[in-house]
Amino acid sequence: MVKKIAPDELQKIVASVPMISASASRLLQITAQADHELMDVVTLVKTDANLTARILKVVNSAAYGLVNRITSVDRAVSYLGQQVIVSIAIESCAGELFSKELSGYEAVGGDLWKHDLRAAIAAREVVIQSGADLSPDLAFTAGLLHDIGKALISDYLRGSAPEAVELISSHDSLDYLAAEEQLVGVDHTVAGEALARAWQLPPELVTVIRHHHHPAMAEEAWRPLVYAVHLGDSIAMIGGFGTGSDSMRYKLDPHYADYFQINANILANVMLVVDTEFNKLSESLSDQGEKS
Amino acid sequence: MGQIILGVGDYGASNNPQDDIKTFALGSCVSVIFLDPQTRSIGMAHIALPDSTINKAKAIEKPGYFADTAIPALLAQMAKLGCDKRGKGIKVKLCGGANVMDTNDTFQIGKRNALAIKKILWSYGMGAIAEDLGGNYSRTVSISVEAGQITLSSPGKPNWQL
Repeated sequence: MVKKIAPDELQKIVASVPMISASASRLLQITAQADHELMDVVTLVKTDANLTARILKVVNSAAYGLVNRITSVDRAVSYLGQQVIVSIAIESCAGELFSKELSGYEAVGGDLWKHDLRAAIAAREVVIQSGADLSPDLAFTAGLLHDIGKALISDYLRGSAPEAVELISSHDSLDYLAAEEQLVGVDHTVAGEALARAWQLPPELVTVIRHHHHPAMAEEAWRPLVYAVHLGDSIAMIGGFGTGSDSMRYKLDPHYADYFQINANILANVMLVVDTEFNKLSESLSDQGEKS
Repeated sequence: MGQIILGVGDYGASNNPQDDIKTFALGSCVSVIFLDPQTRSIGMAHIALPDSTINKAKAIEKPGYFADTAIPALLAQMAKLGCDKRGKGIKVKLCGGANVMDTNDTFQIGKRNALAIKKILWSYGMGAIAEDLGGNYSRTVSISVEAGQITLSSPGKPNWQL
């Protein structure tokens, strides 16, 4: 029998999660602005010694195979690109949350990060390959953060996966989000939104986290971004990278077609790129050893 | 006991009774399993997409990725173990091919994968004797070479066999 999360309890759960660093929070704010420049990112990275060290370690890792070591932040940021920098920043300051075992979903540690990374790449590729007028970088960042709420409610869902699966099988109208709400009183988008607000994430990212399963409910200005992540999330799951018992048990909102022109061929190409890019990116982020 | 783990787009075969062949978390991907009673060999491919014409370079690098290149590649692998190279006598089982809920035609990759695989199998005169396809859940598939028994698992569900 699982225990419901009372409204005041959610705030306590959020308060128990470490805050993201000031520089990571600022980085997410800067990169969410359409008119930001690479130098803004460089300047910010230089203010954070830990982030600088991590970025230099990644760029000089065996995964990139550079002939000459990069020692300047400017060159490292420019070489790696914004999406890798954001991934490093998020992983550095909230890695524990993303690598947590999601026992409530019967998923092992690391599944959440892998799912989020694939959803991020897929959301970006949906934007690029459909030619939509939206920042691929922003779609990537939003994809990376969309499921943070699962790490918050997973412990409360422990032991409930068979019941959730049964609820969905016996009620056509239910998806896993509704099952979470029924079982613990709070679904992962509500929990994620609370954390996103505590972390002072930019409003477009808060909106994605809250509405990525029901994009039509998002504020109109952010709707294309939310649909991009809605699709990225689905593509990660159909590619075999879900987060356990909830994988594939969500509904696809067909109104994505109002924003993205996607046919079967484009979708297949997106899936191919996701596979290739995911392997490359996860290798570079996990590579702790520097090239000799 | 050896465990042969197949990732997306991988294929493999074994006639060692000590081996298990396993692939994790099939979403829309389909696992094609070949069982040859004559040589007591088992083969498996983890197929991601129906048609290799969208990326021929990828098909050369990883033939198991696409239905139209995976089936001939798996048959060639089985032939190395003494099986008929056209698949005569080989039994076929299929698992996977799931879709997200309420999906539209474009996103029914699982269904397209299964159809493409069946079409290619028919061209060899082969058909599946058992299948566990579709639905809205991911599947992990494991088969022991000795018993030829397929075990499926999915988070939140009791294991089942095919």
